[in-house]
Amino acid sequence: MKKRLLLTSLLVLSLVISGCSLSGNKESDKIKIASVVTTEGQILAYMMKYMIEHYTEEEAEIINNLGSSTVVHQAMVNGDANMSAVRYTGTDLTGALQAEPIKDADEALAYVQKEFKDRFNQTFFDSYGFENTYAFMVTKETAEKYNLKTVGDLAAVAGELEAGVDTSWMNREGDGYKAFVETYGFDFSRTFPMQIGLVYDAVDTGELDVVLGYTTDGRIASYDLVVLEDNLNFFPPYDASPFADNELLEEKPEVKEAVERLVGEISTKTMQELNFKADNNLIEPAIVAEDFLKEHKYFSGGDE
Amino acid sequence: MQDMTQMSTTKQFFFYMQENGLYVFNQFFDHFLISIYGVLLAALVGIPLGILISKYGKLSSVVITLANIIQTIPALALMAILMLALGLGKTTVIVTVFFYSLLPIIKNTYVGITTINKSVTDAGRGMGMTKMQVLYMVELPLSLSVIITGIRIALVVAIGITAIGAFIGAGGLGDIIIRGTNATDGTAIILAGALPTALMAILSDIILGIIERRLDPVKRQQKKTIAAV
Repeated sequence: MKKRLLLTSLLVLSLVISGCSLSGNKESDKIKIASVVTTEGQILAYMMKYMIEHYTEEEAEIINNLGSSTVVHQAMVNGDANMSAVRYTGTDLTGALQAEPIKDADEALAYVQKEFKDRFNQTFFDSYGFENTYAFMVTKETAEKYNLKTVGDLAAVAGELEAGVDTSWMNREGDGYKAFVETYGFDFSRTFPMQIGLVYDAVDTGELDVVLGYTTDGRIASYDLVVLEDNLNFFPPYDASPFADNELLEEKPEVKEAVERLVGEISTKTMQELNFKADNNLIEPAIVAEDFLKEHKYFSGGDE
Repeated sequence: MQDMTQMSTTKQFFFYMQENGLYVFNQFFDHFLISIYGVLLAALVGIPLGILISKYGKLSSVVITLANIIQTIPALALMAILMLALGLGKTTVIVTVFFYSLLPIIKNTYVGITTINKSVTDAGRGMGMTKMQVLYMVELPLSLSVIITGIRIALVVAIGITAIGAFIGAGGLGDIIIRGTNATDGTAIILAGALPTALMAILSDIILGIIERRLDPVKRQQKKTIAAV
């Protein structure tokens, strides 16, 4: 009888101990930054983390590799995270907010800022200074040969060109392939849906003539691709912004200040370079972010 | 800037390690801690439970069947189920590791204690030891090496599970592997994540193997006799 008592107490004790170390490990007061799986998302997540740790006493943890911005949004609503490294106006308009796409960049930003505040009590900051939208791009040679500057210029020669696009773009409503053909009134001789990461190499090696890629991809600069201007404003704006929960920002206003220092500091060209370092030059996003911040002295703006 | 895509995979790998060494080390450390936490918690629960069921035979089939069922759930599925309750991040992965480590630890404790020669425990009882004394002075020392084997198996499995944990944002070396699969030419990055993971599993297997042999009472006895001779 005595032994049974002892064993039971041992069991209970071990459960209690395990319970303690679990809750101790959770560290619920840590700031949690949710980040998507893309290189860009990870670089910005580490930038956010280092900025917060540089300017405040807080510690930040990154929840990495989330599948899409919908998952990030869910994680924030569930309280698994209280900041997101990067959110794009266009994605959140049609995704989290279930609204109609807005073609004007400022209008879209104002709309998402208001809606997120009212509906979810979250802050959609002003843009980092770059946008990551779809754009058609060609090699320099093709651009010179056909004298291409805008997407509209493609109309005359589109019949002889082969295009490569993102698989998900083909079937997308609103700003997908079908809508594109309707808006611009022309079609390519053939359109290949493919994984987005492969399109840059495909156009560079000449296997395809024109591809639809992301404007911040590092390979645009390294392959010297020409991005064609979207002269009919077909693609909705995808301005990139930091994002955070208002509860956190009210409780710790110094976090807000730290993050706001990044607003407007990263241009599309800078983001291309940073992505290039990580994608092509095998530098981890964490190190790319740290180097960038050190190079700019953590955007102290002379108040240190 | 140098064009890295022209280098061979081996060169890329070494370049990567040189540039990101500290980062890889940090992830290695995180990865190891997550695995260790899960296994230690399982040991805290599993060893007493194993002792308990070795004393009360009726319980053993129930407990071991339960642990067996947990083991049959694929790691990713178990993690996804736990994620619903515990959310994203490290905690969920630690709990998943905990569940997976239960079976080998409980089973080995159970087997370790039940396979002890009955005459040894009877001798202890005969000397006037209480049941607790028999447990601490006879049964546990004799079964310790078998229990360590259970922990060793659990830890090696845990390291593999933690790598999958990167999918729910726990970090660790899995982060590097996933990044490699997303990069256009990520062979070197995948290797930079996979090789340390394998190394960690092999090293912990070897180290626990050594501890296990040290604690094996039969072999220890032999050594002493040899030394005495």
